[in-house]
Amino acid sequence: MECVVQGIIETQHVEALEILLQGICGVQRDRLRVHEICLKNNPNLGNVASEVRLLCDLEQPEPTWTVKHLGGAMRGAGAEQISVLVRTMVESKVSKNALRLFNALGYKLDHELLRVGFAFHFQRGAQITVTVSSVNKMLKLHATDEAVPVTPGIQLVEVTAPASSENYTEVASAVSSFCEYLAPLLHLSKPGVSTGVVPTAAAAAVSLMSDGGGTTLFSPHTTRIKTAGLAWSI
Amino acid sequence: MEGVAMQDQSQQQQQQQQQLVPPQPVAVERLNQAVVQQLNLEAVKTRAISLFKAISRILEDFDAYARTNTTPKWQDILGQYSMVNLELFNIVDEIRKVSKAFVVHPKNVNAENATILPVMLSSKLLPEMEIDDNSKREQLLLGMQNLPIPSQIEKLKSRIDMIGAACESAEKVLADTRKAYCFGTRQGPQILPTLDKGQALKIQEQENLLRAAVNSGEGLRLPGDQRQMTPALPMHLVDLLPVGDGVHTFSDASGMYMKNTPPLSSNSIGNQGNLLQASGAQLIGRSAASPSAATSATSFDNTTASPVPYANSPRSGTNMMNTPSPQQQQQQQQQQQQQQQQQRQKMMQLPHQQQLLAQQQFRQSQMQGLGQNQMSQLHDLQGQQKFQQLHGQHQMQFSQPMGHQQFQGRQLASGHVQHGIGQSQLGQGNQLNRHLSQFSGAANSALFNAAQGTSNSQMIPNMSATVSSQSLLPRMQFGLAGNNPQRSHASQMLSDQMFNMGASNPGSMMPIQQQQQQQQQQHNTQGAFGNMQPNAQNLQSNMVALQNAQQNHPNFAQQRQQNQQ
Repeated sequence: MECVVQGIIETQHVEALEILLQGICGVQRDRLRVHEICLKNNPNLGNVASEVRLLCDLEQPEPTWTVKHLGGAMRGAGAEQISVLVRTMVESKVSKNALRLFNALGYKLDHELLRVGFAFHFQRGAQITVTVSSVNKMLKLHATDEAVPVTPGIQLVEVTAPASSENYTEVASAVSSFCEYLAPLLHLSKPGVSTGVVPTAAAAAVSLMSDGGGTTLFSPHTTRIKTAGLAWSI
Repeated sequence: MEGVAMQDQSQQQQQQQQQLVPPQPVAVERLNQAVVQQLNLEAVKTRAISLFKAISRILEDFDAYARTNTTPKWQDILGQYSMVNLELFNIVDEIRKVSKAFVVHPKNVNAENATILPVMLSSKLLPEMEIDDNSKREQLLLGMQNLPIPSQIEKLKSRIDMIGAACESAEKVLADTRKAYCFGTRQGPQILPTLDKGQALKIQEQENLLRAAVNSGEGLRLPGDQRQMTPALPMHLVDLLPVGDGVHTFSDASGMYMKNTPPLSSNSIGNQGNLLQASGAQLIGRSAASPSAATSATSFDNTTASPVPYANSPRSGTNMMNTPSPQQQQQQQQQQQQQQQQQRQKMMQLPHQQQLLAQQQFRQSQMQGLGQNQMSQLHDLQGQQKFQQLHGQHQMQFSQPMGHQQFQGRQLASGHVQHGIGQSQLGQGNQLNRHLSQFSGAANSALFNAAQGTSNSQMIPNMSATVSSQSLLPRMQFGLAGNNPQRSHASQMLSDQMFNMGASNPGSMMPIQQQQQQQQQQHNTQGAFGNMQPNAQNLQSNMVALQNAQQNHPNFAQQRQQNQQ
C-alpha cells in the first residue's frame, strides 16, 4: 500500500521548490529519469483487464527495471476524510526480461511516458519520497530520446510513502503535514483532484531564490531554519 | 499606565458589584447618571468580558490540541491572537477615558483601607523598579551628567529625533519590501495576488492534461498506425525488443519468429483468439501482420491436396503426416483448394518455422475469411438456427464469428485454427454441437461437424503434425483435457462423433473448427450425413434445451448407429 498525493507547479518555480525541499528534507536530491511502460492485458476469458507498469531507471549506469502494480484506492467514508490517497501498490525489482515476459503473458503496450526530474527520499514520520518531474511523451514508439513534455509549462510533483494496512493513518498524517510545508508554493491533492496553482507561488519562489532564502547547503540544519523562516515570515 | 488601568478596571468592577449586590435599604452608592453615561462603563464592561472570552477560547483550543495531539492550525491561532490584541487596545482606550474621571476609589479613609491606602497612593517605585530606572537613567545620561541641564535636555532631544528618524526609515523599508514581495500589510487582511482569469484557465487545462496523462495515460496512446517501432531503440530496450523492418508481413513474421520463438508461438495462440477482434498493435507486431495476411489469403488453408483431414484416422486414405500442416480442405471449394495449394507451395519453400508462423497467420485469416466464404452455402442453416442460444454459452470473444463458422463449416477449419480457438471455445462448441447435429441437409454437414464434439485425440495429431513448437502442444492438451474420455483414439472419434455430442461435458471447451472438420470428413468420405435429415425437426425443437444433453441423446444414438455404418 502507499499514500500518494499529487500537485502541479509551474516550471519556472521548480528551482525554488528544489531549494525549499532541500531545506526541509535535509538530503541531497537524486536525479530522476524513468521510462515508464504501462502494459495492459486483454481480458480473454471475461476477466477484468489488468494493468502493470514497468519502470526503467535510466539514471543508473545500468538501467534497472522495476515492475509495479497499482491497485484500487481505498474507498469509504474514512478514505474521504483522509487528505491523501491510499491505494494498494506492489513493486519489485525485475530483470530486463520483464518486458518480454509480460508480452508473452499477453500484456500489450498501452502507453508509455518518460519522467525527467529529481527526487528526494527522506524520513519524516514515514519514508517519504518527493518527485518533481516533467512528464514526457514519445511520439514514436519507445523513442525516449525524442520525448516531448506533455505540458511544457507545468511539472508534476508527487509525494508518496509506503504504508501498510496497520499504519496507513500515521503515514497519511505524516504526508499531509509534510505537504503543509510546501503550501507557499503548491497545493497537493489526491490524484484526480485538480488543484490549480497557488497564488503565492510567485512571491514564495522569489523569496526562496533570493540570497536571504538560504544558499545551498553545507549545513542542512541552518539552511532549513533560514529557508523556513523566510518562506513564511509573512 | 497599564497597571493603573487594570487597577481602575478592578475598582470599577468592584463598584459595579457594589451597585448590584446590595439592593437592601442601605443607601446604594450610585454614580451620577451623567457621569455614567460619559464614562460608558457598560461598554468597558462588555469589552472586558469579550476579551476574557477570547482569551479563554484560545486556551481551550490549545487544550484541545494538546489532548488530541493534532497540529494546530497556526493561521487560525494567529488570527485569534490578533483579535485579542485588538480588543486589548480597545479596552485600554476606554479605560483611559474612564480614568480621567476617577483617580482613586476609596474616597474616605476608614479602618478598612487605612493600611493599604498609603501604598496605593505612593508614587515611589518598587525597589526593583527603582534600581532598573536608575540604571537606565545612567545609561542614558552617560557622558552628559556634567553638562548643565538644558544641554542635557537638548542632547536627549536630538537623540530622540535620531531614533525617531531611524525608526521611520526602517518602517519605510519594511513597507517597500512588503509591497515588492506582495506580503500584504501587517495588520488587516492579506490581499492575495490573484491569477489572471485567462491564465488560470490555461493552467487548469494544462493541469488536467498532465494529471490525466500520468494517472490514466490519456493522450499518450499512439494510434495503431503510428505504432511503428522506431529503428533506433534506446539503449535499455535494444536487446529486449525485436526490430522488424516492417516491410512485408512474411518477412516480419519470420524475422520475429526466429528471434522470439517461444513467446511468439504462445502469443500466436492467444492472438488467434484475439484476432477476430483485430486486436491492436503488439510489440511483436505479429497481429498487425496477420490481418493483412488474412486479406491476401482469403480462404487460404494450408491443406494438402488430399481431401482427408485427419492424420491418424483409419478412414482417411491419405497420410496427412507428410506435410507439416495437415489442414483440411473442402472439395466443394476448388478455388480455395487451388489457392491453398499455391500457398502451400509457398509455404514449403519457406523454412519450417516460418511455415508454421505463416500457417498460424493464415489460420487466423481463415477464421476471418470463413464468414465470407461460407455464408452462401449455409443460408438455410442460418435461418434455421438460433444463434442467440449459442451466445448464451461461454462468452468467448469470438463467439459470434465462430457461430458463423460453425454453421458454415465449409472452409476447413484447419487443425491450427482449431487449436487456436480451441481452448477458449470448447464449452461453447460443445453446446452447439448438440444442436447442430440435428440439422439436416447437405449443408448441415458443416453443422454436424461443428456440432460434433471432438476430443483431444483428434486435435493432438493434427497439432503434432502442424506445430512443432513445444509450447503449443502441452497447452492444447491442457485445454482439452477435460473432454470426452472416450475420445482417446481418432478412429473412435470419427465413429463416435454423434455420440460424442451427448456425452461430452457441457463445460468443456471444444474446438469448433475441428468439429467441422470431422463432420466434413464424414461427409466427404462416408456420406453418412443423410441420416441427419430426419432429425432436423427434432433439433429445432430441441434448440431451446441448450443445456439439456439428454434430449439430444436419442438423436445422437440414432445418428451414431447410422454413422458407424
